[in-house]
Amino acid sequence: MSGIEIDSAAVPEAAPKQGRQLGPLQRFMLSNEFGLIVLIVVFAVVFWTVSPMFLSKFSLYALGRTSAVNIMIGFSMMVVIVTGGLNLAVGAIGVCAAMACGWLMQAAGMNWVFATLGGLAVGGLLGAVNGVVIVRSGLHSFVITLATMSIMFGMMIFLTQAESYREISPVFTGFGRMKLWGVVPPMLLMTIVVGVLLWVLFTFGSLGRQILAAGANPAAAELSGINVGNMVIWCHALSGMLAGIAGFMLVSRTGAAIPSMAGQLGQDWLLPAFLAPVLGGTLLTGGRVSVLGTLLGGFLVTMLTGGLLLMQVGAFWIQTYLGLLLLLAVLLDLARRSYLARNKLV
Amino acid sequence: MKRELWNQDWFGPFAVTVLAIVIVGALKPSFLSPFNIQILLLAISVNALVAFSQMVIIAIGQMNLSVGAIGGLAAISFAGMMEVWGLPWPVAAVLSLGIGLLAGLTNGLLCAYTGISAFVITLATLSVFKGFNLGITEAQPFYDVPEMVKWLGNATVLGPIPWLVLPFAVSAVALWYLLFRLPLGRSVLAVGGNTHAAELSGISVPRIVVFAHSVSGLLAAMAGIMLVARLQLGQPSIGDDWLILSFAAPIIGGAVLTGGRVSVGGTCCGVAIVAIITQVLVLFNIDPFLVQVVLGGLILWAVGVNRIREVRGQRKAAAAGI
Repeated sequence: MSGIEIDSAAVPEAAPKQGRQLGPLQRFMLSNEFGLIVLIVVFAVVFWTVSPMFLSKFSLYALGRTSAVNIMIGFSMMVVIVTGGLNLAVGAIGVCAAMACGWLMQAAGMNWVFATLGGLAVGGLLGAVNGVVIVRSGLHSFVITLATMSIMFGMMIFLTQAESYREISPVFTGFGRMKLWGVVPPMLLMTIVVGVLLWVLFTFGSLGRQILAAGANPAAAELSGINVGNMVIWCHALSGMLAGIAGFMLVSRTGAAIPSMAGQLGQDWLLPAFLAPVLGGTLLTGGRVSVLGTLLGGFLVTMLTGGLLLMQVGAFWIQTYLGLLLLLAVLLDLARRSYLARNKLV
Repeated sequence: MKRELWNQDWFGPFAVTVLAIVIVGALKPSFLSPFNIQILLLAISVNALVAFSQMVIIAIGQMNLSVGAIGGLAAISFAGMMEVWGLPWPVAAVLSLGIGLLAGLTNGLLCAYTGISAFVITLATLSVFKGFNLGITEAQPFYDVPEMVKWLGNATVLGPIPWLVLPFAVSAVALWYLLFRLPLGRSVLAVGGNTHAAELSGISVPRIVVFAHSVSGLLAAMAGIMLVARLQLGQPSIGDDWLILSFAAPIIGGAVLTGGRVSVGGTCCGVAIVAIITQVLVLFNIDPFLVQVVLGGLILWAVGVNRIREVRGQRKAAAAGI
């Protein structure tokens, strides 16, 4: 189980008398991740019965490619939510990093390796700027990233004059079209690798534990010698880099770096960015993270979008369904938590 | 305690506005031409309602990401009801305002009775309302807007003052009266200032939250309808770019994001400052893409100033307390 809760060890000991003793399997069955797996299986069966096309090789491949991007966007938001903040600028940073990468390839004629590293550096740097401003000003991350999202996106549009970069290295575009064993896109594997790294960071890394502690209770973390400000800056830098990777994936899929790929100010990324971690059980107040949950959440969202499109329920209504899904997810989570609390299962 | 004139929330933004008008007017006399003033007032009238819509929510210490989506939904319902059902425009306008009110009410009920943060709720409803908008229009605008509405959107009452200033002025005065003279409005500010204390003094916090969100929805819908009159068509993309603006103007006007402190006059000045800067970029042939950068910079600058004022105020209060 990859749900990591800072005080999870203390809670079962605190009230063991009334609570039933649960084995690890039972605990997993009560977790968010298990619920998501059930939902994914149920919906896959539903879509498959309605339209057998759903499980065709082509459809699965497309699903894998899209979910890789959505999960990465979710990770990008997740690492900031862990600190109890949020990052509205994920879309803007992702596009900035992707455009920087495209510029380095087309205008500066760089090798794709250096271009990617350069774009990644831009993403990390922009994220770090967010972090520094938030920590130094002591203001909430909402208003700071709202402002920087406008500034970053505006600068990017100004510098590129809203032109796309189309001369993308063939290695890059080839990566986007590659198929492993006929169905698996390498992008999805990359996302899973990043997910494993994040899981290792938050479970075993001392930096990850410090970040979780800082998110759960900043004052207590500060008293126990953790530099909370530095943790916030680290998380924002990491978020910027992950957003950049999501941007590169889009570039390699479409074969061009397009300024409008995340919509006006990168707002189109906001919904998947919040859906994946919230569905996955990452607490918005910080201190709890579930990498596996975010991965499954991002996958579920992509699958629902794809399935609904396949069922031809009207492409224009998709956004409504996704919004309702987010509402349903938070309400269900609320109900689940109060049920568990009432029956003293947690 | 009576505060001096220069300590009022709206004084700083007001001074900046006057200064900006004087400087730009001196550099470019065409800035003060009647036609230009009319354009400015048109932009201010619509944007002010967008800003008010967010300001009411900031007053209770929350945020409403769905302002633009509500405005867009009201706008296309207004144009659509006139084109498809052939309703007379006043009926369509009232019905669209009703849709806005209903959308705001939904937000309010969800925020008040689930205890989930307003950010997540309004992010979800943003998507729901925008989805309704796209589902109804299939991303095609409604072109068939009655002549009367087109006329109202661009005609002037007196000199350079357009008709659209009327709804703006009425709602500004009404909001000011509501927030600073009526018990209901005082309760709104009390809930924003200190939710717990407000509850202990007998205010029904959920009811106030629902009320504030409903007002916000109504104002957003009004802005959407006015924009239809001004653009002379029902664009599905109306409201897409309101998010930054809706926060920028109240914050520039001295609103504190934790709630309890907003200023109607300050917000109007904030809107005016944004409108003037946008025009200046055009007048001086500066790249219009930079508008976003300037808006973001303004928000940072304004929250910085508000923060400094807050810290200074606390220090002063601490000194007086001893």
